[in-house]
Amino acid sequence: MQVTSNAGQLVTQVLAGEVWPPLGDRHGFRVDPDGNAFLLPGMGGVTLGAHCGDPATGYAADHLEPGLSVRHRDQAANYALQYLTCVGNTVVVTSGPAAGSEGFVIGQHAYVLVDMPEPALRSVTAGDQVTVFAVGQGLVLLEHPAIKVKNCSPRLLAALAGGTDAGGRLRVHVAARVPAEAIGAGAGMASEYANTDLMGAYEVGGEDLSLGLHGLRIGDVVALADTDHRYGRGYREGWLSIGVISTGSGRLFGHGPGPSTIMSGPAEAFTIIDDPDANLAVLASVLPQKEHA
Amino acid sequence: MTIDATPAGLRLVDVNLAATVEQGCVGTDPYRIDADGAPYVPVGDGGIVLGVRLGDGVWEHPGDHVAPGACLTHQDPAAGYALAAQACIGNPVTVRSGAAAGRAGVVIGKRGEGGRVIAAFPQDTLRLLRPGDQVAVRSRGTGAADPLPGVTIRNIDPALLAVLPVTFGPGTLTVGVRAQLPSKLVGNGIGRPTPMWDLDLQLTPASARGHDAAGLRLGDLVAIADLDTRFNAGYRRGWITIGLVVHGGSPQPGHGPGVTAILTGPAGSLLARPDPAGHHGLSEEAALAPVRDLQ
Repeated sequence: MQVTSNAGQLVTQVLAGEVWPPLGDRHGFRVDPDGNAFLLPGMGGVTLGAHCGDPATGYAADHLEPGLSVRHRDQAANYALQYLTCVGNTVVVTSGPAAGSEGFVIGQHAYVLVDMPEPALRSVTAGDQVTVFAVGQGLVLLEHPAIKVKNCSPRLLAALAGGTDAGGRLRVHVAARVPAEAIGAGAGMASEYANTDLMGAYEVGGEDLSLGLHGLRIGDVVALADTDHRYGRGYREGWLSIGVISTGSGRLFGHGPGPSTIMSGPAEAFTIIDDPDANLAVLASVLPQKEHA
Repeated sequence: MTIDATPAGLRLVDVNLAATVEQGCVGTDPYRIDADGAPYVPVGDGGIVLGVRLGDGVWEHPGDHVAPGACLTHQDPAAGYALAAQACIGNPVTVRSGAAAGRAGVVIGKRGEGGRVIAAFPQDTLRLLRPGDQVAVRSRGTGAADPLPGVTIRNIDPALLAVLPVTFGPGTLTVGVRAQLPSKLVGNGIGRPTPMWDLDLQLTPASARGHDAAGLRLGDLVAIADLDTRFNAGYRRGWITIGLVVHGGSPQPGHGPGVTAILTGPAGSLLARPDPAGHHGLSEEAALAPVRDLQ
């Protein structure tokens, strides 16, 4: 993105995390939009076969978390991990047979979510330790004071298309525009924690549930209409938030594929460009070494 | 009006639940952050709150999620979820310990996350209550049969519908409400189980004017379009949810006046009749009438 920022002044914090197992309860089943019971994988652990650029929906899964799902055992250390980690941060596996393998953060979902090449993912399991090079909180776009940036690494900012346009607005390329009606679970929570579930992209149910979001892909950059996510995730007419799709298929009613927020501001501060290539896959164009060299 | 709550021949069971009067809690930091980034100290968020009554405006008292009366919890999380799931609007609450022992109130709503129930009490009873006092909730209503085929009732003793502006017609149920609002205004509570979580309306005094909801009061009924709240709360085109306003506004983004869902169904069967100026929902007098003898 062609934009001036304070990226050169940001510090990197080295944070420890652990690949967390999927969690269940003794009742097993949950309830879908029509009241039918389901029991599906997707949340926690190491989820294979779903990477940036792949479809976000169409899986037999609930709360699909691509790649690694990472937490810290200590509550305060975990909050630091969840709040300070940013999309695009480098993650290195430090224990187990995949030790030394690298991936990058695609978002938060009460876990830090990490995409890695499939061969490395196959060797990671719950309990393996990872190191996150956390940098990005505090990022400021110097010519766009109305826009608040969060959860966005300098590496992602550099890789995104767009930038300051002739009229002084921030041009952002998005793969999809999300209507306010789609905002599901996650509303009212801090923008630095978990993500916003989008409704209307279920694998089950009738046309009356659809909000036209079945084409979303993992890693897509999206625009969320009428949202102000500067200090928490809320509805606000005439405002706009930019997110990246970090979770996929959701079967639980009121849930679904979800964006992690990276920017928010008044709609007039942005120029939105529809671009099917607006996806975290662009991170490959910016080498991670620039971030924690 | 008589409501047949058990057309399938099933009898509702009453269960006495133990609960504790909550102490309002704040985190390690005194401040929360409002939608514009300004810090504020949350006042009235849970516990016993004096001077707030059904019928008061939702933005009348400065505070955060202020509810009329006292919040009830249980120290065991699983018992707290059961308390929230089984207590229903209209259930009597009897104080069993402390200076108010023997007095009574009534459940008027629920709040999310921790499994909390809101109970209204007369103001002179509230003044005698102290956090930690033990109460018993005589729960009844969960499991109630559809009041009309296709329309689901939640979170309310079906007998209480008789004191609300609810009218049965041929194949329809019509409810008088203060306002009908779009589902996109629902913040915290969306995607959560309706029997254990309220729905916050993302409204401010300024934005409410655009929705004919500036006069929103505690105890009002509201309609939310395109929202199905039979299980979790979620978007469904052509549906409607009716709820009772149970707590006041909040400066936090994604939060606001809270609604406990009571009826949900297809808009062709469940009809809302908005009356922004003249609506009367659940009054304190009607809510407390069943326990008047215990004051």
